[in-house]
Amino acid sequence: MKQSPSEKSLRRNLGPSKFSAEGFLGADPRPVDEIVADDLRTLERSGLSLQDLLRALRRAYRAARDALGAPVEIRPGVVAVFYESRGRIPSPFRDGGTFEKGEAVVTDLGSGRKLVLTEVGLALIERHGFFQGRGSRYRIEPAEAAEILGLK
Amino acid sequence: MIASILLSVGFLSACGVVLAFLIVLAERKILNYGPCTIDINDGERRLTVQGGSSLLSNLAEQQIFIPSACGGRGSCAYCKLRILDGAGAIGPVEQPHLTPEDRKEGRRLSCQVKVRSDLKIEIPKHLFSVKRYLGRAARKRPLTYDIVELTIDLVEPREMEFVAGQYVQLESPEYKGRESVMRAYSISSVPSARNRIQLMVRLVPNGICTTWVFEHLKEGQSLHLSGPYGEFHLSDTDAPILFIAGGSGMAPIWSMLQDMEEKGIRRKATYFFGAVTQKDLFLVDELKAMEQRLDWFTFVPALSNEPPGSGWSGERGLITEVLARHVPDTSAHEAYLCGSPGMIDAAIAVLKKGGMPESRIFYDKFA
Repeated sequence: MKQSPSEKSLRRNLGPSKFSAEGFLGADPRPVDEIVADDLRTLERSGLSLQDLLRALRRAYRAARDALGAPVEIRPGVVAVFYESRGRIPSPFRDGGTFEKGEAVVTDLGSGRKLVLTEVGLALIERHGFFQGRGSRYRIEPAEAAEILGLK
Repeated sequence: MIASILLSVGFLSACGVVLAFLIVLAERKILNYGPCTIDINDGERRLTVQGGSSLLSNLAEQQIFIPSACGGRGSCAYCKLRILDGAGAIGPVEQPHLTPEDRKEGRRLSCQVKVRSDLKIEIPKHLFSVKRYLGRAARKRPLTYDIVELTIDLVEPREMEFVAGQYVQLESPEYKGRESVMRAYSISSVPSARNRIQLMVRLVPNGICTTWVFEHLKEGQSLHLSGPYGEFHLSDTDAPILFIAGGSGMAPIWSMLQDMEEKGIRRKATYFFGAVTQKDLFLVDELKAMEQRLDWFTFVPALSNEPPGSGWSGERGLITEVLARHVPDTSAHEAYLCGSPGMIDAAIAVLKKGGMPESRIFYDKFA
């Protein structure tokens, strides 16, 4: 498999850096556009639009952020907690803007499944349809996220 | 056959050498910008530098340290400065980081602006006193399960002059394949102790610098930091003060309170400190003792998710709710806030609702 210079440079930006210890790709060997296409296909199969899922993710993130570290119920059996962190992180796509650090951990108490939401992660989904690579702590599995947030 | 291969290889090598020579020559002759002058704050300081490299690195060479977290790669956008003349065209790396207001005001990323001619720039005055320090980790004291107080002895220079409320940038070296980074931490110690500073560092999952502090930095080990930075400090008025903080946002407030006590500043002050449960509280004994000692000071810790029946007899609820209950009319006060952006945003809303003008709200947002 060949890798175009732009893909190579994108993978470098999405890898570990001064801003992200583990990077955004995890252990995923797929090209970035393939990761995006696969996730969008998964969403399509679920009958969900990216906007619907993004809205629900943002609602959960905002609810946790507003609770200032106390657990908040997103829906019955699902809670979110916000963990603060100082500083800002730039978009690894180099498309402008820096984002608050801090993360909202959404937990499905029944199954123990978790979503780790960050402001930059949500922006990457919104701007690029990029849910991050498999193995990344911050990857959002679209189908799983839809289930946890009660969208299907 | 072999001769022709050798001839081709020789010819290509010779071409390479000639090209390399031409590039070096071009760099020296064509790209030689010669000495350039950087005029700072309309003649307040004038630097003569060799043109060609970035404004940020030129300033650092002259011991003027502009905050930067990405090491000059044009991604963090912390190093914005106002450039009044000589900046040249905005490059593609800068484009996404500049707001319409930045462009109007002439603000640019100093790491991306190359010094190719004389420049006129503006630098906030407080940055002139920033220095890079060699220090030694004297003590790591756990304050909670995820916050440590890091005491640093300053080795070279040996003293730091700072104002209570300012912060430093701590440098973590490369470790376990992680890059060297700089991260901001407010100083929690009192300014009168000039040869030793203290920071409160909260462990962030996967945080490069905080993991280094928690897991790798040993007492006695050397480290580097720069500072002091920031314009968060007590104003020069007599207005009663509302301090509001959460988590490691305690640091600058603790520094300010100790400083007030040392200097005999007797402004009425109430400190609202928010935590989730009792295990997130720290320095409570010290603050309660301060409350006993100082008739102008009141300490109000509040817990947002302490289990009922735990024995906690203090305030319950979000710190912003507790603030609204205690001080419904904030119109005569000044407020000093430090904590997460969510806490700051919520606190500002409560303060404004109580009648406080935005000009009297000062904050150090973790952002």
